[in-house]
Amino acid sequence: MKIALVGNQNSGKTTLFNLLTGSNQKVGNWPGVTIDRKSGIIKGTDFELIDLPGIYSLSPYTPEEEISRKFLLEENPDLIINIVDATSLERSLYLTTQLLELDTKLLLVLNMSDILLKKGIFIDVEKLKAELQIDIVQISAFRGTGIDELIACLKKQNIKDNPKLKIYPAYVEKTIGEIESKIGLANGRFIAVKLLERDRLFGDLMDESIEQKVKALERFYEMDMEEGIAYFRYEWIEGTIRKALRHVAKSNSVSDKLDKVFLNKYLGIPIFVVIMTLVYLLSVGVVGGTTVEWIDAKVNQFKEVVATGLAERGASDWSISLLTDGVITGVGSVLNFVPQLLMLFLCISILETTGYMSRIAFLLDKLLRRFGLSGKALIPFIVGSGCSVPGVMATRTVEDSKEREMLITLTPFVPCSARLPIISLFAGYFFDKYMGLVTASFYFLAILVIIISAINLKKVLYKDVNSSYVSELPEFRVPDVRYVARDVWEKTWGFVKRAGTVIFFCSVIIWVLLSFSWRFEYGVPIDKSILASIGNLLSWFFYPILGEFSWGATVSAIQGLVAKEQVVSSMSIIAGFSGDVNRELIFAKDGIFGFFTPASAYAFMAFNIFSAPCLAAISAMNKEFGSTKKTLRAVAYQTWLAWVIATIIHLLGLVIGGIS
Amino acid sequence: MLLELRGKVKAGRICRMSDLGKGQRGRVLNIKVDNPALRRRLFDMGITRGVEFEIKKISPLGDPVDIALRGYELCLRKSSMEQIEVEVLA
Repeated sequence: MKIALVGNQNSGKTTLFNLLTGSNQKVGNWPGVTIDRKSGIIKGTDFELIDLPGIYSLSPYTPEEEISRKFLLEENPDLIINIVDATSLERSLYLTTQLLELDTKLLLVLNMSDILLKKGIFIDVEKLKAELQIDIVQISAFRGTGIDELIACLKKQNIKDNPKLKIYPAYVEKTIGEIESKIGLANGRFIAVKLLERDRLFGDLMDESIEQKVKALERFYEMDMEEGIAYFRYEWIEGTIRKALRHVAKSNSVSDKLDKVFLNKYLGIPIFVVIMTLVYLLSVGVVGGTTVEWIDAKVNQFKEVVATGLAERGASDWSISLLTDGVITGVGSVLNFVPQLLMLFLCISILETTGYMSRIAFLLDKLLRRFGLSGKALIPFIVGSGCSVPGVMATRTVEDSKEREMLITLTPFVPCSARLPIISLFAGYFFDKYMGLVTASFYFLAILVIIISAINLKKVLYKDVNSSYVSELPEFRVPDVRYVARDVWEKTWGFVKRAGTVIFFCSVIIWVLLSFSWRFEYGVPIDKSILASIGNLLSWFFYPILGEFSWGATVSAIQGLVAKEQVVSSMSIIAGFSGDVNRELIFAKDGIFGFFTPASAYAFMAFNIFSAPCLAAISAMNKEFGSTKKTLRAVAYQTWLAWVIATIIHLLGLVIGGIS
Repeated sequence: MLLELRGKVKAGRICRMSDLGKGQRGRVLNIKVDNPALRRRLFDMGITRGVEFEIKKISPLGDPVDIALRGYELCLRKSSMEQIEVEVLA
C-alpha cells in the first residue's frame, strides 16, 4: 500500500513522518527539482509512506505544490494522510477541501490536540467527522501520543472512501458536474474545479464550451472563479467550524508576550544582533576555536602513525605520501569543520523549531527587499560566515526558486572561517598592526559584493524575481528534542559524506599533479611537477593581480579549491618549508614569493576570498541548483568578479603607492 | 499623507489594508492584486472577501505587518496590503 503524507508547513508533518517510519527512511529527489523526496516504511506494516512537501494549497504557482499535485494525480497513492494543526483548523482545512475532491481515500490526523485546551479551543471530533464524512485520528506528534492508534487504524484498512463533499453553491456544483462528465477522467471533480479556476496546468483540457460555462459563473458571482473557488471553500469551512469548534477567548498567549520583546520596536533588532553574534561565537569561536587545533593535531598524529607503520612494512615512498599528504591531509581538512558545523546546525535547528527564524525574516525583510531578496536571505549569509556548505544548504528555507538560485550564487561570497588563515598570513606580514582593520575590510567588501551582485543578477539573470513575502508567523514553541537531534545528525552526516567523497577524489588528483612530472617521475622537486607547469601556463591570469608571473601563487590559488586554508599550506610547501607556516620565511625578499607588495598581497587575498569557493561548497551549490550548467555559470561569475575586484585593488594600490 | 492617519482611521470608513494601525480590526472588501501568483497566495492563505482581521504586530522597521485572521497569524508587505480594500471595524 502506498500512502501520501500531506500537510501545511509547521503542521508537525516531519515529526509524524519520523514517528511512523523510525529509521527506515530513504531520501531522494523529486524529478526536475531539488526538493527532497522522503519515503519510508511504516513501523509494523509493509505500507510505504511518502512525505510530500509542506504546502498550503494545490495551486499551480510553486514547485512544491506542483510536485504534490503531480504525485497525487499521477502516482495514485492508495491513501492520503492529511495532517492538520488543530490549533489553526480553519486555515488548515482549506487544503483538506482540495484533497476532498480527489478519488483517493483520505484520513485526517488532528495534531497538537494536547495544546488545544491551553489555547481555549474545544473541538467536537464526532461532529467534525460527521461534517467531513472521513475518519479522523487525534495525535500529538510532539508528545508521541496517538501514533499507535493511527497505525492500528491504517492496518484495519477499512478507511472510508473519499466522500467528495459538495461544498459549493448549487449553481457551481451543477457546472462542476457537467464538466466532470464531459471530460470523463479519473479525479474528475478535482480537475473540473481546476478548470473553473483556469488552472494553467490543465490548459489543454480547456475548450470553448467550458470557457462559456466559467464565464457565466463569473458574471453571476461578479468575481473570477480563482477567487470564487477560494471564497466558497472558506465559506464552507467557516460553517463547518461553527458547528464543531468552540473558542473560549483567552488573554494574550505566551507567544504574544514573547513577541512583545523579540519583535519590539526598539529591542527587536538589537536582540537579533545579540542572538546571531552568540550563534557565531558559539560555533565558530568557542567550539571551532578549541576543536580545530585539537583535530588538526590528531590528524597529524594519525598521519605519523600511518607513515611510520607503512614504512616499517616496506611500503613505497609514493604510496605513503599518497595516503598521508594526499588523502589524510585532504579528508582531515574536512573533519576540522565537523564540530563547529554540528554546533551551527544545532543553533539553526533550534532557531527554526522555536519559530524565531520566521521572525528574522519578519524583522529584516524591508532591508533586503531593495536587493530583490526577502528577509529569509539573511539566514544563509549568517550560516555561511562559518562555512559555505551549510550556508548554501540553508538557502532551502527560501520559498521562491529564483530567489533561492540568486542566494546560492551569493552565499559563498561571505568569507567563511577557512578563509581567515589566508588573511592572517598576508595581513599579518604586510599590514601587521592593521590586521584587524584589514580583516574587517573584507567583511565590508563582502557586503558590498553581495549587494552589487544581487542588483546585477536581478537585472540580468533573474528579471522576473518578484520576491513576495506572504508568510505564516508560527507561534513560539518549545523545540522537540528528538526532532532537533535527528535534524542536526542528518545535516552533519550529509556534509561529511558529500564533502568527504569530493575532497577525497580531489586531494588524490592534486597530490598526483603535485608529486609527478609530465614523464611520470615520482618525487620531482615541486617546480618540475605537473602542477607547476599548469601554474606556469595559467600564471598570466594572475598577472594583473600580482604584477608578476608566479606559478607558485597560481598553484596555491588552485589548491584553494580543495579547501581555502590550503592556499596557506601550499604556499608554505612551495616556498620550501613544509610544516609550520612562517610568514618571514615565506615572503623573504630573495624567495619565490619575494615579489609580493602590500598592494598585490591585498589583491591576492581579495581574489582568494571572493573567487570560486572550495569544491565541497561547489558540490553543495550543484546539489541545490540541481543543474551543472547553473553551477558552472555561478562559479564562473564568482571567479570573474573576484578577478575584477582584485585587479582594481592592485591598480589602486599601484596608483596610491606611486603618489606617496 | 495617509501615513499620518495610521491608527486613526475611523470605524466604518473604507480604505486600504495598509492604512490601518496596530490593534485595528477590519473586513476585506476587495482584493485588487495584479501579480497572479501573489493574488492566489493571498486567497490560499485565507484573505477572501468578507474575512475579518486584526493588525497584530508591525516589524521594527515599519514593514512588513503581521495580521491575525482565521485563527492564525500572517505576515504581509505593505505593498501587498495597499492593494487590498477593507472596511474599518474598530
